[in-house]
Amino acid sequence: MNLLLRLVVFIVPTTFILLFFFILTNEDVYSGADYNQFQIPEFELKDLDDSMTVNKDSLNGNYVLNVWASWCITCIIEHPYLSNLSKNGIPVIGLNYKDEREDAIIWLKKYGNPYQKILHDYKGNLALDLGVTGAPETFLINDGKVVAHYQGEVNDQIWNDVFLPIIEERKMF
Amino acid sequence: MIIEISHFLSILATGLFLLVGYFSIFVPSSNSSYTSNLIVRTYSHGFFFLLSSFLIYVWLAITDNFSVQYIANHSNTALPIFYKISSIWSAHEGSMFLWIVFLSLWGFLFNIRVKNSEVLKPKTMGVISLILVGFLIFLLATSNPFVTILPIPPLNGADINPVLQDPALAIHPPTLYLGYVGFVIPFACAIAFLIYGDSKINWEALVKTWSVSAWVFLTVGITLGSWWAYYELGWGGYWFWDPVENVALMPWLAATAFIHSLGVSIKSSQLRIWTILLSILVFSLSLFGAFIVRSGIIDSVHAFANDPDRGLYLLGFIGLIIFVSVFLFISRLSIIKSLSRIKKFSKQSYISINNIFFGALIFSVMLGVTYPLIYEFLFDQKISVGAPFYNAIFIPIVFIAAVFLFFSVDSKWSRSINFRPISAPIFFSILLSLTFTLFVMQYFESQNISILASIFAGSLIISRYIYEIINSILNKKFINPFSVLAHMSLGLLIISISFNSLLSSERALSIGINSTELYKDLKISFKDIGMKKNSNYDSIQATFIVEDQSGKTFNLKPEKRRYFTRGQITTETAIHATVLRDIYITIGDQLDDGNWIVNVQINYLIRWIWLSALLMGFAGIILVVSNRVKT
Repeated sequence: MNLLLRLVVFIVPTTFILLFFFILTNEDVYSGADYNQFQIPEFELKDLDDSMTVNKDSLNGNYVLNVWASWCITCIIEHPYLSNLSKNGIPVIGLNYKDEREDAIIWLKKYGNPYQKILHDYKGNLALDLGVTGAPETFLINDGKVVAHYQGEVNDQIWNDVFLPIIEERKMF
Repeated sequence: MIIEISHFLSILATGLFLLVGYFSIFVPSSNSSYTSNLIVRTYSHGFFFLLSSFLIYVWLAITDNFSVQYIANHSNTALPIFYKISSIWSAHEGSMFLWIVFLSLWGFLFNIRVKNSEVLKPKTMGVISLILVGFLIFLLATSNPFVTILPIPPLNGADINPVLQDPALAIHPPTLYLGYVGFVIPFACAIAFLIYGDSKINWEALVKTWSVSAWVFLTVGITLGSWWAYYELGWGGYWFWDPVENVALMPWLAATAFIHSLGVSIKSSQLRIWTILLSILVFSLSLFGAFIVRSGIIDSVHAFANDPDRGLYLLGFIGLIIFVSVFLFISRLSIIKSLSRIKKFSKQSYISINNIFFGALIFSVMLGVTYPLIYEFLFDQKISVGAPFYNAIFIPIVFIAAVFLFFSVDSKWSRSINFRPISAPIFFSILLSLTFTLFVMQYFESQNISILASIFAGSLIISRYIYEIINSILNKKFINPFSVLAHMSLGLLIISISFNSLLSSERALSIGINSTELYKDLKISFKDIGMKKNSNYDSIQATFIVEDQSGKTFNLKPEKRRYFTRGQITTETAIHATVLRDIYITIGDQLDDGNWIVNVQINYLIRWIWLSALLMGFAGIILVVSNRVKT
């Protein structure tokens, strides 16, 4: 019994401290970033108003695809930055992920709508094909092709380090 | 120039604390009256140097000395004095400074209140001093608040973040810090006890008042933070399971378990291993909170700027503290003896079960906070853990714990009673609670099991204690007033949270000027909207006239502000608070047809949630005060 207690008392904090040590010293600063290029999959979804159907071909050109949901707290934090992007002329398309339509509409009314178009992906099918694991996630799309992808909150730093180099290289916007 | 004096004083304090640490821990004769006098005095001098350093810093902030980089970055001449002071703890360096000053303040109070003849005192002061040294080096080496902009200081400062310009926020961090670092006293005493290795010393009695005081600060601090997020951030709720809220909740849970366990150890020298482990756990979790917030390891509204060096230093130092404690604990485990075995169905037995419940809750929160980090580290993908996870864990555990608490009221200290599941008070409470729950189920047409179960559990606790109070008045039977108040507050908290989630609702309305919309029993008329100019921001202010069921009308004036210095836009909510509910309005964007989006929330019993948390804290206050009076 005492041996067990000694072991537990030693092992539990050691595990946590080692874990945090490895996380802190992890070289890969932008662990959410991903540059694998792939085509946007075929899909057919309603928009958030339930008024029209959107498919792969109705979204063309270059744009930013942002996965969000009203249940996602980080999305609230990310929101002002997206509005900023939108104001500066970057087209931002929203992918509303596993969310009730009414909740999403209330959320947009409360915080403002930075999106040109919003796809309502209630079941998460498109998100699954895109490899989404949660919200928020952001994709950079260049002529139907994903050229950069980031999991987590996009802010000034992430935008400049992850997205901007690719945008400049490809002269996108 | 003056800032250098402040800087120098804190370096001097570091040196003195190092001396105290050395003399008390590493000099064998630390208990001789000569050495212990030396320790006591040196510590006090160190504290006064550090305090003077901080007060000079405050004065520099009040007098707008922008040659200090930190003040230039976080304050502004246009701010009222109150916010010039609170700007000191609006970012990492200054708040770390305050945190350390509070740590030394607790040590100082312990130093002057506890007699020199107390065996554990010199070593306790030594442990506190060494912890202070570690954090002062951290402050001076990695987050120096004394850096200057010379020779030409800026004419004006960059201003404090507008969401922090709020009275609740000005007092929320200091209160919370006082709570966090207050647990250094029981921790240091426990370590001193372990170093001493004499099982006969009753270290638990020495730290009771200190621990309960720190617990009160922690409770009040968390409540203030919850209130601030509600009305200033405009999130419209009381708890969001944000990582930083969670790292405050964990020490609170551990501290609550600790003061229960401490009571048992004082009373009957049982659960001593639990008490020592919990005292180490509370302080480690408080430090862990500082690490999480200051290392930039987690994205959160509360987190400070990212700097991996700070994170590594903190991790190293906290790791050192934890390893030394664990090593001491392991090596002394065999001498910590509980005097007797715990009897079945005694108060002690219930409290040891309580420790297990709290342990489970702490572990789940820890998992919720760290799981996304572990997952990201291993699989390079981000995930988030949210309310559903915590609800799924908290509701059943709190329910079972409440049932145990309900039965524990009957139990006696150190005596096993004949456990009778059906006695008059138990029967009375169950009947009353069941009736109430069924009434709620019928009246509000609710089928939600978690809510109904929580309401049942909350009413069980309250009705059981009401019976106890009546019984004590009629039969002059002794009851413990602190325990009654704290546990009834817990019952009230559970009930308030349940009703809040059962009844509250929100809706975004689109309203044009001079038109009226209906929502639930409210008639909301949009009167006008206009621009307002202020000294440091512009705002759009809307006026609504709201009429409720009973025909009462009131004005609500939500705003949107744009602050000049930072260009940041904030939403100011308008809240009409009554006893039972809050009507909470925020304005959003204007639509193309000229209508405005208005978000209306009706939050039931939300004030009661904070009230019950404060009552819990109040129970702690009267416990501390009555102990003072006795001694």
